[in-house]
Amino acid sequence: MLACSFATVGVFSFNKARIKVVKFEEDGVDIPMPCFHCERAPCLAVCPTRALYRDKETNAVVLDQNKCIGCRLCMIACPFGAIHYDGINKIVYKCDLCFGDPACVKFCETKAIIYDTPERLAQIRYENKAIEVTSAIKEKTLAMR
Amino acid sequence: MVSKFKYGGYAGQQLRIDLTKSQIKKVPQSEEDCVLYLGGRGLDAKILYDELPVDADPLGPDNILCFSAGPIVGLLGPSTGRMNVAARSPLTGIYGNANVGGFLGAELKMAGYDDLIIKGRAEKPSYIYIQDDVVEIRDASHLWGKNVIETTRILQEDLGREFIVAAIGQAAENGVLYANIMFDYWEAAGRTGLGAVMASKNIKAIAVKGNGELTVHDPKKYMEVVTDAWRAVEEDPGFQTGEHPALGTPVVLMLGNVQGWLPVRNFLENYFEYAENVSAEEFRDRFSTKKTPIPGGRACLSCPNRCKRYGVIESGKYSGTKGGLEFEAVGGFGPKCGVGDLEAVFHAAMLANDYGMDAISLSSTIAFLMEMVERGILSKDDLDGVDLRFGNADAMIEAIHKIARVQGKLGQLGALGVERAAKAIGKGADRWVTTVKGLETISTDPRVSTGFGFGYAVASRGSDHLRAHPVIEMVTAYRKVAEELFGSAEACMLAKYGGRAKMVYWHENMAAITDSIGSCRFMHASYYALYPIPELMAKYGLRRGKEVHSIKYHEWISAATGIPLTYEDLIVTGERIVTLERALNTRFGIRREHDTLPRRFLEEAVVNGPYKGAVFKKEALEALLNEYYDLRGWDKKTGLIKESTLKRLGMLDVLEDLKQRGLLAGE
Repeated sequence: MLACSFATVGVFSFNKARIKVVKFEEDGVDIPMPCFHCERAPCLAVCPTRALYRDKETNAVVLDQNKCIGCRLCMIACPFGAIHYDGINKIVYKCDLCFGDPACVKFCETKAIIYDTPERLAQIRYENKAIEVTSAIKEKTLAMR
Repeated sequence: MVSKFKYGGYAGQQLRIDLTKSQIKKVPQSEEDCVLYLGGRGLDAKILYDELPVDADPLGPDNILCFSAGPIVGLLGPSTGRMNVAARSPLTGIYGNANVGGFLGAELKMAGYDDLIIKGRAEKPSYIYIQDDVVEIRDASHLWGKNVIETTRILQEDLGREFIVAAIGQAAENGVLYANIMFDYWEAAGRTGLGAVMASKNIKAIAVKGNGELTVHDPKKYMEVVTDAWRAVEEDPGFQTGEHPALGTPVVLMLGNVQGWLPVRNFLENYFEYAENVSAEEFRDRFSTKKTPIPGGRACLSCPNRCKRYGVIESGKYSGTKGGLEFEAVGGFGPKCGVGDLEAVFHAAMLANDYGMDAISLSSTIAFLMEMVERGILSKDDLDGVDLRFGNADAMIEAIHKIARVQGKLGQLGALGVERAAKAIGKGADRWVTTVKGLETISTDPRVSTGFGFGYAVASRGSDHLRAHPVIEMVTAYRKVAEELFGSAEACMLAKYGGRAKMVYWHENMAAITDSIGSCRFMHASYYALYPIPELMAKYGLRRGKEVHSIKYHEWISAATGIPLTYEDLIVTGERIVTLERALNTRFGIRREHDTLPRRFLEEAVVNGPYKGAVFKKEALEALLNEYYDLRGWDKKTGLIKESTLKRLGMLDVLEDLKQRGLLAGE
């Protein structure tokens, strides 16, 4: 969050971060909540001035600050609460994936956040699962000997 | 809410609350004090020095409870979530303070305040609500009598999950002298009884949410320095073992058992036969792996180290126990009390957290009472029928409940801490105490870890490792570096004395800096990622890789704040902070004769382990003290500060004050 606010607005602030982390400290869990850049993004559909648009290169839903009129319809439409309101400039702000080089990913020590294509993510998942299965089989065979 | 303060990194305001007058003031931060003492621990000490009446009752309205976050808190550097809490300690009667991790420091700064300074006493149980400019003293009668977890949960449910809460539990309300303040469920501002001070002010909790922002003096340079610091940590050989995230701080327990510095049964022995049963590996395998949604340690703000190993007990007698187990808690409730049952140890540690008691002082007090029972000084009847013997886990758990509630004879005795309990027992019990300046000693034996031991003798808050934390003496890989820095070939040899004065002097200075700016001990004394150690390792060919990265706090602070600092200035600033704490303590009557170790460590020899026969030699202690006082510029005879030292450190107001009180040493 600090990396995010510094990369986007040059200050350190939890409030101005585009990504949020919800902490469940009692249970020992933290969940990062970014914008998911939905394929059929409700925010895009409701934006009356086309201030929100899809970036061709990164496929991210990004905001043209000059076109935003601060109506906050996108905030109402977003099911994840990923769009935030800047009370000073009277416009919204949201994650733009740093146009392909997300600051949050660079500073994520545990690699809890990674930046990749959906295909690649699926591949990582099924490969890891396969590794687990293999080692389970190995263990079983060893035990049988 | 852009900070208009002259220096970057700071929020630029102090929040001052007088509870007696129900007065809330926001005053500009002191530029001069920030230059001299940086923030956090340094600034807390300055506030106490300037404003605390010398005769203030620690549990009376005159005591001042300060919370201060340092200038680099919340600024993305590695391990920068820490803040400092200070007051006159009810346990020791001298300067008390504790450093704590988590997120509250950053939230406080984002709300616009570097420091929260609480004076007076509220009429009824209250909590302090802070959201940016809105600061309120709110009713907490619905929270009084509840423990830490429930209090925190209720406040988060009422105010919102984004509020970070610091709370006290029942122990503080009931007047346990080593009650602590628990931040964000699990983080303890543990030592010296600051929770009892908070309770005496009728403050149950502090809830903070900051929506503001922080800026740095030179953003470009700042990111360079911080990126370098991150890489320095990542390249540190200790960090690369991955032990802290995987196993948490209890990882050192087995090492201590092998090296012979793990105290067993109240320091009567140095080898624990059940060490494996209570080891970090055992904890991971039984309570942690796959039982938490995300395996691995949990972190404070911006911390790569994530040393909190979270675990859950899912069945049996202690089912439902959860939280993070730390080394001092497992060392205290385990070996120190002779208990080899990990479930009981884990449960005991979490009870201490929830009741809000310092696990170190609590476990030491129980271990001390156990020894008294074993020696026949106390009988079962003296302790309400609880059979408090070494190794009796059920009795230990029962004692914790009784102490937290100050219930019966056991509760009343236990709530006093070791030194006062010994006095109350009489019958020569004070012969067996293991305290320095009234504070209980941690789980590292000073007869073996002599650097730690000398650190306990001189530490400004009493027997504690975190003033110096010279882990380097335990790690032979740093032998050449330690030899160069501390001037002795014995520097990395346990149970020797060579280089210990310089070692403690240097570590104390660096610790004063990190506590004051808001970084963590582990970055500079556990991992040795700070300048000039990686550079020295490279010089001796002990480091892989071509480029050398290191944490350069001087450049880091300069880039963040705009206060110009060199490495040499940094050492001087550390000296200044340590000397200020000494000045405070001299006002409370601390002299050379208090800078010592208890009889057990000076006279009783270690009975087992590789350093069997070792004592902390009295003459070695005296020689180290002489050398140390010379390094610090304190008077060898009395332990008072010399006039020339205060002049050299630019502490003219302190000089004037000590002169008036007749507490200045001649040359």
